[in-house]
Amino acid sequence: MNANDVIESYVTDVALQLPRRQRNDVAFELRALLNEELQARAEAAGRGADAAMATEFLGAFGRPAEVAARYRPTLTIIDPADGRSFLRATVIGMAVIWILGLVGSLRQPIDSGGWDLLSVAGHWWGSAVIPSLWWPGMLVVGFGTAAWVRRRWPQSGAWKPRAGDRIEGGRTALVLGLIGIVCGIYVLIEPRWLLDVVWDGRAAPAAYEALTYTETFRQRQAPWLLALLLLNIPILATVVVQGRWSAGMRRFATAMGLATCAAMVWTIVDGPVLMTPSGDGTAKGLMGLIVAISLLGYAIQAYRRVRPAPG
Amino acid sequence: MGDADAFGKLELELRRGVVVLATLSQLRGARYGYELRQALADRGMPIEEGTLYPLLRRLETQGLLKSEWKIEDGPPRRYYSLNGDGRKLLKRLTDAWRGLNGAMDRLLQED
Repeated sequence: MNANDVIESYVTDVALQLPRRQRNDVAFELRALLNEELQARAEAAGRGADAAMATEFLGAFGRPAEVAARYRPTLTIIDPADGRSFLRATVIGMAVIWILGLVGSLRQPIDSGGWDLLSVAGHWWGSAVIPSLWWPGMLVVGFGTAAWVRRRWPQSGAWKPRAGDRIEGGRTALVLGLIGIVCGIYVLIEPRWLLDVVWDGRAAPAAYEALTYTETFRQRQAPWLLALLLLNIPILATVVVQGRWSAGMRRFATAMGLATCAAMVWTIVDGPVLMTPSGDGTAKGLMGLIVAISLLGYAIQAYRRVRPAPG
Repeated sequence: MGDADAFGKLELELRRGVVVLATLSQLRGARYGYELRQALADRGMPIEEGTLYPLLRRLETQGLLKSEWKIEDGPPRRYYSLNGDGRKLLKRLTDAWRGLNGAMDRLLQED
């Protein structure tokens, strides 16, 4: 391979990454310029240009992909300003998917009677790790679309001040929350009412039995859970009327939420809630999910809190 | 080591800011890529080949330069020069640069 071959190979690699309409023209010009540059170097070095000299020169010129990119306007998929948010969302999302997948894989062999590390790892790899790639893909599409919208309609990305006492989601969200709490109280008092509402009282007796509370739960946790849920109603109703959160009201609501989470954890670990094991497992699973989502929400709130102070 | 790295990066940032103005300033008359790079280097503004040659194409795509292939005592070469819009932009950038340069001189003299 001589110097010309090296340059020819480099020019081809650059040109292949350019749009077809400018490919040949750029290749012709680039080849002439590179030859001229190399000739000048060879003369300065006092020897003829060879493959080694050409390779060294082209190494300094840049990777063909980088050089080709310089011929075109910069293409940005994800805004550099969003880079850290993208990375954080990717890592957290993947970690959650992998952990949930691992828990699922660990349960799988236990349910079917066998357990060995290799089959668990294989199941986890196939059912959670590889399929989890949908998550970064979706984030790329989301962040990329947001960046494109901001470039296309710059005003859409303009910063707007947000009041610290605003209601997230507005009054509508709070009213929906109130309705949810009333429904929760309704179910807490007598879950079998659900069957009456859905099946008009014609559900199978086994279904009624599945939704019957144990006496222990009625005596111990139910009054606390009911009281905590009831206390949320005047708080949310006041915020709906006032149209804003006061600092005291927000602290009180957070304390109430944490107390409710504690009561639910107590319920989960203390003993059966419903008469049948399957119903009990489902109810505790739902409570566990509510606790996890609530605690995650509080953790995010705490993480996002800014208290300006000298460092 | 850290200081040298930081200086290198910051100096590169400074140079990047003036590459377009330096290039436009040397294209009042027609020049081809290698000749332009030599002209810039002779006047104390060396620009890497891998930066300069693609930049000429980008400026042409942006409608600031015109170009044509010519054969003058050698192989065919593509000659670039400013067009009307390029000349207007050069004037505006020159004024901006002089204003900036004056401001920086004042700022640095205060030390």
